[in-house]
Amino acid sequence: MITYREALSEALWEEMERDEDVFLLGEDIGLGGGAFYITKGFMEKFGRDRVVDVPLSEAGFTGTAIGAALCGMRPVVEFQFADFVTESYKMIVDFAAGNHYRQMGPVPIVLRLPAAALVSAGPFHSQNPEIWFFGTPGLKIVAPTTAHDAKGMLKGAIRDPNPVIFMEYKKFYNYPVDDLPEVLRPAIPEDDYTVPFGEARTLREGDDISLITFGTTVLEALEAAEVLEGDGVSVEVIDLRTLVPLDKEAILESVKKTGKILFLHEARKRGGVGGELAAIVSEEVFEYLDAPVRRIGAPEAHVPLSPPLERAYLPSTEKVVEELRDLAAF
Amino acid sequence: MDAKHPLVTREELADLDFYADLADRYLAVDGLEARWVGFTKKEILPDRETAERMHYLVSLARAVEETLDSAFRAGHIPGTAFFGRGNEGASVASAMCLEDHEWLVPMHRNCGAHLAKGHPPRSIMSHFFGRADGPSGGRDGNFHMGYRPKRITQLISHIGTMVPIATGVAWAAKARGRGEATINYIGDGGTSAGDFHEAVNFAAVRKLPLVIIIDNNQYAYKTLLSDQYACDALVLKAPGYGLPGFLIDGTNAPLVHHVCSQALARARAGGGPTLIESITLRAAGHSVYDKFSDYVDMEHFEKWTSERDPIKRLDETLIEFGVMTAEEVAASHDKARQDAEDARDEALKSPMPDPAGLTEGVFAE
Repeated sequence: MITYREALSEALWEEMERDEDVFLLGEDIGLGGGAFYITKGFMEKFGRDRVVDVPLSEAGFTGTAIGAALCGMRPVVEFQFADFVTESYKMIVDFAAGNHYRQMGPVPIVLRLPAAALVSAGPFHSQNPEIWFFGTPGLKIVAPTTAHDAKGMLKGAIRDPNPVIFMEYKKFYNYPVDDLPEVLRPAIPEDDYTVPFGEARTLREGDDISLITFGTTVLEALEAAEVLEGDGVSVEVIDLRTLVPLDKEAILESVKKTGKILFLHEARKRGGVGGELAAIVSEEVFEYLDAPVRRIGAPEAHVPLSPPLERAYLPSTEKVVEELRDLAAF
Repeated sequence: MDAKHPLVTREELADLDFYADLADRYLAVDGLEARWVGFTKKEILPDRETAERMHYLVSLARAVEETLDSAFRAGHIPGTAFFGRGNEGASVASAMCLEDHEWLVPMHRNCGAHLAKGHPPRSIMSHFFGRADGPSGGRDGNFHMGYRPKRITQLISHIGTMVPIATGVAWAAKARGRGEATINYIGDGGTSAGDFHEAVNFAAVRKLPLVIIIDNNQYAYKTLLSDQYACDALVLKAPGYGLPGFLIDGTNAPLVHHVCSQALARARAGGGPTLIESITLRAAGHSVYDKFSDYVDMEHFEKWTSERDPIKRLDETLIEFGVMTAEEVAASHDKARQDAEDARDEALKSPMPDPAGLTEGVFAE
């Protein structure tokens, strides 16, 4: 089995071999192989015109990628950390997202965003960018949590004619494969494959409560479901895998079965994706609900650095267990 | 650099009077050296075929915009409208240097560039009128338009963003190795935006086939040049990026054509980007809603527009050197006017977009 990081490298390597219009732009990705070594060895193979060390200029190189995409190329932009994508916000939200809607052609770019918290990375290296993009039409937003999905979804993103916000989780890059729960290490096919967008994955079947999550919190979700099983409560855990397009049916079908639902994500609760999902459930399957729709997300604060503060900020297994028990008792 | 042209002193640059100093010479900047290069009208004159096309397009640019202006006042244009009055010469003469397969990355005072690149007036009119058959199908309006059949990108409102987009277009041209180049325009105000710096720097680092034309029309909406930048001329930014630069009179269409042709040839041959500062005067408000006489020096405005109207200057030059007769010039104007009005009449018959299609096309399939 390969790691999540190796899976991303393989996807990029194979796509660059497959299609010479695919090229990579990012800070330190060529000579240095990238901050997280996803592209180590790429420049030697593909050359400095396809593995491009760019000047420190996120807005500039994002715009450059968009311009090349308008002409039919397939740029993949690496942000050193997801947080720095705010530099490029107008390029993505105002230009790339709406260009096809304005009938000015597709913009096939992939924006690779190393997202979410890693131990004490602080306020500018720990954020979850989906809350900045989720309200903008024209952007696909994906969040692979396994090596299998990381590889298949990155390949799918590169072949997609739309701009794709590709959130990849630093926490999973080098996560020891053997330490992952069985369900988070599906076998990787030998042959070329992509993971279709808009299909959630059920990580654990259950009858009593639906626990819907994506990103880093799949780990806490699975741990908490295990604890609840000890209580005699059966929790269904679903990894959304992509936020746009959204597998709404998977959410609605699950809650119709269980009657109780908890949304869990690492990003802040206010303005987080969970709010929109909770509204959808309330609007569309209210009559199936046996309890109020619940959400867990980070509190109203910036991601703090010091360990006790960061622990208090991030959703934990204990918080999820507490919320699930509360729902079970409702 | 041509040794016969004297170096420009620091004092000379600081005292630069765009109005007086660009009449029969332009400033060429290469590294730390800046020189005045003198020219005669005759030596920059395009051949007859090019001149006739240039004349028609410059006249058409004015006719299309004047037709749009009256259409706006008649209530046919939703939203607002921006025009490039005073910039028709530079806009046409630069964009007509591009080959059909090369991309153009315009700004909102480049009606002339759209026309020169082949965007039909009929399509421009439909776009301004918010019609279903315009290039954006009514999803956007005014000069926020592109025209893919002729490889013209759209522009968005955020000033500065289009320079990185142009850098990417130039990147694709270089990557595909077909010797293509692109032109992008930015205003004097736009050079203050960070995107301008990021993109010009990257284009210079990678020697991308890009010609950037700063349309210095002396006003960024209602802000004076002296509140926009402190350097003596924007072209002096070029050596800071390791690029050559030219400061030219943008109301002299043949000169713009002469300099742009050279810059594009250099770009196509792998020589990298060129920065051109083209001096014009925005001979209208920022938009149709702008009462520019509130803040524009009207004495300067009257003098400039009476002596440096790019259309009048082109008429005079072409007639003076016998490229076109006075009758041919008049006929060219008449045709341009008629074509613009026909385009308007046709576009006004186009259907408005159907609200049933509101959410279609958000994603590409």
